[in-house]
Amino acid sequence: MSQVLPAEGAGAVEAPAPGAHPFWRRLRARRSALVAAAIVALLVLAALAAPLLAGIEGQDPTTYHPDLVDSASGGVPIGSFGGISAEHWLGVEPLTGRDLFARIVYGARVSLGVALGATLLQVIIGVGIGLAAGLGNRFVDQALSRITDVVVALPVMVTALGALAVVPTSFPRPVLIAVIIGLVGWSGTSKIVRAQTLSLKSRDHVAAARLSGWGSWQIARRELLPALAAPVITYAVLLFPSNIVVEAALSFLGVGIKPPTPSWGQMLSDADTWYQAAPTYLLIPALLLFVTVLALTVLGEGVRTALDPRAESRLRIGTGRKKEADA
Amino acid sequence: MRQPSVISRRVAAATAVLVVAAGAAACGPKDNKGGDGSSGAAGKPQKGGTLTVLNSKPQEDFDPARLYTSGGGNVPSLVFRTLTTRNREDGAAGAKVVPDLATDLGTPSKNATVWTYTLKDGLKYEDGTAITSADIKYGIERSFAAELSGGAPYLRDWLIGGADYQGPYKDKKGLDSIETPDAKTIVFHLDKPEGEFPFLATQTQTTPVPRAKDNGTKYEEHPISSGPYKVVKNEGDGERLILERNPHWSASTDEERKAYPDRIDVRSGLDSAVINQRLSASQGADAAAVTTDTNLGPAELAKVTGDKKLAARVGTGHFGYTNYIAFNPKVKPFDDPKVRQAISYAVDRSSVVNAAGGSSLAEPATTFLPDQAAFGHTPYDHFPAGKNGNATKAKELLKEAGHPKGLTVTLTHSNDKDFATSPEIATALQEALKKAGITVKLQGLESNDYSDTVYNLKSEPGFFLGGWGADWPSGGPFFAPIFDGRQIVKSGYNFNSGQLNDAAVNKEIDEINKLTDLDAAAKRWGALDKKVGEQALTVPLFHPVYKRLYGESVKNVVISDWTGVLDISQVAVK
Repeated sequence: MSQVLPAEGAGAVEAPAPGAHPFWRRLRARRSALVAAAIVALLVLAALAAPLLAGIEGQDPTTYHPDLVDSASGGVPIGSFGGISAEHWLGVEPLTGRDLFARIVYGARVSLGVALGATLLQVIIGVGIGLAAGLGNRFVDQALSRITDVVVALPVMVTALGALAVVPTSFPRPVLIAVIIGLVGWSGTSKIVRAQTLSLKSRDHVAAARLSGWGSWQIARRELLPALAAPVITYAVLLFPSNIVVEAALSFLGVGIKPPTPSWGQMLSDADTWYQAAPTYLLIPALLLFVTVLALTVLGEGVRTALDPRAESRLRIGTGRKKEADA
Repeated sequence: MRQPSVISRRVAAATAVLVVAAGAAACGPKDNKGGDGSSGAAGKPQKGGTLTVLNSKPQEDFDPARLYTSGGGNVPSLVFRTLTTRNREDGAAGAKVVPDLATDLGTPSKNATVWTYTLKDGLKYEDGTAITSADIKYGIERSFAAELSGGAPYLRDWLIGGADYQGPYKDKKGLDSIETPDAKTIVFHLDKPEGEFPFLATQTQTTPVPRAKDNGTKYEEHPISSGPYKVVKNEGDGERLILERNPHWSASTDEERKAYPDRIDVRSGLDSAVINQRLSASQGADAAAVTTDTNLGPAELAKVTGDKKLAARVGTGHFGYTNYIAFNPKVKPFDDPKVRQAISYAVDRSSVVNAAGGSSLAEPATTFLPDQAAFGHTPYDHFPAGKNGNATKAKELLKEAGHPKGLTVTLTHSNDKDFATSPEIATALQEALKKAGITVKLQGLESNDYSDTVYNLKSEPGFFLGGWGADWPSGGPFFAPIFDGRQIVKSGYNFNSGQLNDAAVNKEIDEINKLTDLDAAAKRWGALDKKVGEQALTVPLFHPVYKRLYGESVKNVVISDWTGVLDISQVAVK
């Protein structure tokens, strides 16, 4: 079969062409992916340069400005659009008068940082367990696969809520949240890796390696990992935005990032009652979260397509299917 | 304290959340009252119609023995009359105690240990039978039964033999310290002088319960009414409560309850946003609706203030409640008065007030006692922080205390939002103390865990946020539990967080309790508060103010300083 249908059976696991040139070429060819990449780069830069940006604005994320809110009217920011001014580029927070621009850029550090940490952890655990299951004997595979099934069944939010409640508050929250999301969200990666490993194991080059006396670790490193890179990277880029959303949701529920550290989810949570009285307060973090997740998803899709050799040869696949049917 | 309009000692502590969420407010003299009858729909209040009450907390355990109320509660007071009750008037006049079933506030013996009450003539239950003093005695005895617990602890503490009494089901003989020489007279024998007994007699435990109709824990399904309304439906343990007129209640025996509507429909278990949305829309039956437990939040207030029509339908009230920083002087560095003073100087009350919703929802406090005459409020500001904190003075004091480079401390708060010990308040304090060189680490605890931790001597942190409300508007239940050395509880809930046990303070508390002249007592409470304030065992932060919407056709809105909530017994919908 695999000889008849190289693209169908194993296309996705085919290692990218040497030099990875086609990948960049294909990625560059997708304008949406480029725009998305630019947005993501901008956000990452803004997050990294948060103190600098806030410094240029002349503000910081924690100083209270009681004089900038109308205390008698529930603490709504004074001025239009949530108090947007030359001093406060995105206005100020109701009740406290803290600068929203500074909180947004500092919040980006937490939101992006937690999501990055969680994604890395998910990938590392997922690849490790997936490889072990794929390469191990039947017993190991069965055991690890059942564990994976259990983790798949774990509802991320509920598990995270429980875990956050029992860990002492002295533990640094952003790290804790990244670890918890990482620990409950690796099952997808592991399933993909195991499936690909099983399929790769029967390939000639792997069989050849095994025959020449290579150990499992050596096979994994030299023969499997390069081939797994494409699907894993693709999946990771899609995991990343969903991890941002999980962090936002946890902070929204009040168990995530602790004050005074800002995070987008926490800002959204604080803003939810203000949608009528101070709409910009809610709109700004909501819009940013939306743009970030959208950009990352579009980028992820771009990466997936660029890594997928089938993308350029849809027609051939179509013919392949037909051939299969004929056969 | 199931009655949302009420703050109670035990519950205030036990479930801190309830307290503030529930807290109604009563107004200080300077307050612009939400209702003096002029607000709301125009025209003279008329009898008739259905009043809808939209609440978040159900009217659970609707049994006079089990309710923890201040002044008899709001909804409970429609069904349960008591020996005395709160004065149903706006503002400070409403903080007075007045007779209800009794002809007067009681006749004390010379040292205020014996209190004698005479019942009015013509008092009847909903079935037309006469109310006797023996029924009041029985009602109080029931509240001692373990299965009917929930009320305030005072009767157990004050009545001779109260501590060991098991209730009438186990001990048929009854409590000897309550005498009923005839059907209209009842005499209470206390184990110590208590000049504030008339205040205690406002609680629903002094409601008459006919022994023949008592069916124990099932009594709450249909308690026998002595008030203007009787229970016709009680679903889901007080989630839906429908009251209709009690034909045997006579207005001539009851000067306090106006009872305009024919029917009261209490619907609970609603989300606070939904309640406020329904009241602001005021559609259909909601036009004749009020809430007794749901405040406007800051964002809702911002919206309401921008709308003149809505703003006219907001009732403002002050309840005697103080939010404060508590210190445990057994924990370093809070053993040093200079450190406590430095923090007192450094607090930024404007930021704290803003964090609590702004100046319409909170008023800065520098005294522990609420700023109401009934509490004997005596103004003082021993460590003047000004509007935004005095960081210079705080730094000086820290230097004197041996912390020239500043200090790092941990502030314990609860994780609940919209609550006075919230992360928002803690963060505002953190920011203010930063200016004085004090680095504050925040330790947030979940709400149940929070009160279990901070109000327990074994786990009490050094520096935390607290709140206190009174069971009645007086210094007694407000001041003593926090500063009376004999009320330090070794195991269980302890509210004397500063662990003050000062013989002079204890003695003065005893002396004040002997006074039956409540105005004179109030002045002494105020003076004592001022004196104890010098020790900086607490940093008073703010007194909450409550803003509540009511429907378009609601008339005769009366908000007393006792409860701070509009009084349902006064409201008319026609």
